[in-house]
Amino acid sequence: MTLVGLAARNALRNRFRTLLTIAGVSVAIIAFVLLRTVITSWNIAAEYSAKDRIASRHKVSFVISLPKRYIDTVREVDGVKEATWMSWFGGKDPRNPDNFFANFAVDPKTFLEVYDEVSVPPEQRTAWLEDRQGALVGSSLARQLGVKVGDKFTMQGTIFPGDWTINVSGIYTSTRKSFDQSSLMFHWDYMNESLPSSRRDQIGWIVSRIDDPGRGAEVGATIDRIFDQYDNQTLTMSERAMNLSFVGMFSAILKAIDIVTGIILFILLMILANTIAMGVRERTSEYGALRALGFSPAHIRFFIIGESTTIGLAAGLVGIAIAWPIVNGGMSRFIEENMGGMFPYFRVETSTLVLAMVLALALGALAGVVPAIQAGKLTVVNALRRVE
Amino acid sequence: MVPISYNLRSLAVRKTTTIATASGIALVVFVFSSVTMLSRGIEKTMSTSGSPDVAIVLRKGSDAELSSGIETPSVGLILASKEVKRRSDGKSDGVGEVVVVITLEKLGTDGISNVQIRGTSEDVWKFRPEATIVEGRMAQPGADECVIGRAIRGRFKGLELGGSFELRKNRTLKIVGIMDAKGSSFESEVWADLDAVRSAFGREGVVQSVRARLSDASQYESFERSIENNRQLGLEVTRESEYYKKQSEGTSAFIAILGNIVAFFFSVGAMIGAMITMYSAVANRKREIGTLRALGFGKISIMSSFLLESLLLALLGGAIGAGASLLMGFVSFSMVNFQSWSEIVFSFEPAPGIIVGALVFAGVMGLLGGFFPAVRAARMPLIKALKE
Repeated sequence: MTLVGLAARNALRNRFRTLLTIAGVSVAIIAFVLLRTVITSWNIAAEYSAKDRIASRHKVSFVISLPKRYIDTVREVDGVKEATWMSWFGGKDPRNPDNFFANFAVDPKTFLEVYDEVSVPPEQRTAWLEDRQGALVGSSLARQLGVKVGDKFTMQGTIFPGDWTINVSGIYTSTRKSFDQSSLMFHWDYMNESLPSSRRDQIGWIVSRIDDPGRGAEVGATIDRIFDQYDNQTLTMSERAMNLSFVGMFSAILKAIDIVTGIILFILLMILANTIAMGVRERTSEYGALRALGFSPAHIRFFIIGESTTIGLAAGLVGIAIAWPIVNGGMSRFIEENMGGMFPYFRVETSTLVLAMVLALALGALAGVVPAIQAGKLTVVNALRRVE
Repeated sequence: MVPISYNLRSLAVRKTTTIATASGIALVVFVFSSVTMLSRGIEKTMSTSGSPDVAIVLRKGSDAELSSGIETPSVGLILASKEVKRRSDGKSDGVGEVVVVITLEKLGTDGISNVQIRGTSEDVWKFRPEATIVEGRMAQPGADECVIGRAIRGRFKGLELGGSFELRKNRTLKIVGIMDAKGSSFESEVWADLDAVRSAFGREGVVQSVRARLSDASQYESFERSIENNRQLGLEVTRESEYYKKQSEGTSAFIAILGNIVAFFFSVGAMIGAMITMYSAVANRKREIGTLRALGFGKISIMSSFLLESLLLALLGGAIGAGASLLMGFVSFSMVNFQSWSEIVFSFEPAPGIIVGALVFAGVMGLLGGFFPAVRAARMPLIKALKE
């Protein structure tokens, strides 16, 4: 038997305790994977945002709209390839008013050009462009609302009062992780024409696609400088910065999750260290015997750390084997459908799994360090004298 | 009964294991009671914002002040209703206000976030007597001055007594006072002159909400009927307390769900930790158990003694965790409220009930974790136990 084998075998000496320890540590690993996934998914919108898109909104507040004519000015700015505009509509499903979903009034033709990750079957695309009352619905949202292509759907306006009936012309999916599949987009023209004249020709924000992703900041500054002389000044940010600022609003929660994650790892360490310490205490006489047989203190330390690392490894594997299907199976679908605005893509990242495994191993080894040092210090006589 | 001192000494002898297990439980209890305190803090902030005898009038269909709009002539009509209380100066006790959100740079973390600005009249101090100026002075009516709630003071760039920020181009608001509002969400707002905000945001001739104090809370139904039955107005009436409850629902549900998931995983982990400890306590003390049995202690006594030991261990951890969570009372937590998209500062609200609940929670973990080991101890055959 090799030394490594012996160290691993030691873990099976008290099978029941080892099983309990693995259970406890794997619960901690599951919680770790879950919380890490919340954080990585939260950041995904920023991480995978398009590098060649910039958005301009009102400088002071997102509740103030911009005049529609701004779009023509933006289109003439050097470096802007195509620009589109949209307004936050804020409609509700009257059948279920508490169920929030994002809905925008957009300019369909340019919208699809600027957001080329929105993928719609060609015939549905044509249908949407041609139907003034048509709308595109994300695949997650369509499931949630229970609508299919060809259905009529009525939204109740909160910002723009009244009942607004739209036709579901197409169901879109997204080829980019940062774009959620739980939004609804309909014709801005349809909304604009139905508004009282005082509220007409206003747009929420402008999104531009630029030639060279490296020049984003420069093009943005040019746009802001042009409108600086106007009454309504703009604030232009890259899509990434805009998504980051959204994440930033919840920074307190993210920080809290980080702290809790740290606490989990600490609990994991405690459970493991406890088990190892108990095992070492029970086996003191054995270590004396091993020493008497000629094994060095380094060997003893190796046995102990090897055993605790083995338990860490096993628990890491069990935890991942449970957490991965749970999160990527039922949970991701539920969250993407119900909280798609915040978590457009809720999946376990490979990096999270690697990190969980590395931490399980590292903390496993760490848990064995103190008992290993203590056991290594024992003299043969003292260790053997402890025989009960 | 086996004397308690036996258990206490046993815990003291196995110091390392006792500390490891207790600190695991302490961390669980800490997280559990912190989350409960935060939920309570959110609830308290929101519930002190609304009083039961105040009715809030919004445009039909809009569920927040931000998206509502009411024409000025309607304001007089609403406040003239017979159910509205008259103040000593003979005027109706109510206010019509404009609510907007502006973007400001957050201090401490990089990024921007939204701050809620309330355009209101000087009557507001009579209408909300709980709001008082604690530093500086009130804003002059008609001037470009404002007061800020003490919760957001120093959290954003410019939000400090004597500081200023731009409401729009060439329109700077100067901060002349700091307001205390008994911990309600108003402490996270900026209060400025109604006309100053209206003109800066192009909202002349409208307010967004009308609040009216009723002469008696029982008058609510009659007030609601008289406003909502007037279809030409197109308005909707809600009790202010209910309005704020609904405003915080999303946020507190989010915290509660996240907190409960974390607490669940943690408690499973800590319970397993306690179980490991107690099993090994039973295994190590076979001879002692045998001796106790030989001395005439019954199975029930042995079982309850070990259960008690586990309970003591858990309560020790619980007390440490609950004590540490009280320190969170000094921390405030700022996050975006999902309904208004602006930052609200919440605090952790300690309460005797939470501490008791945390200790009970710890006790249950100890009893559950200790149950099977205690059963094993009680079932141990006398002869076998003594032979060890």
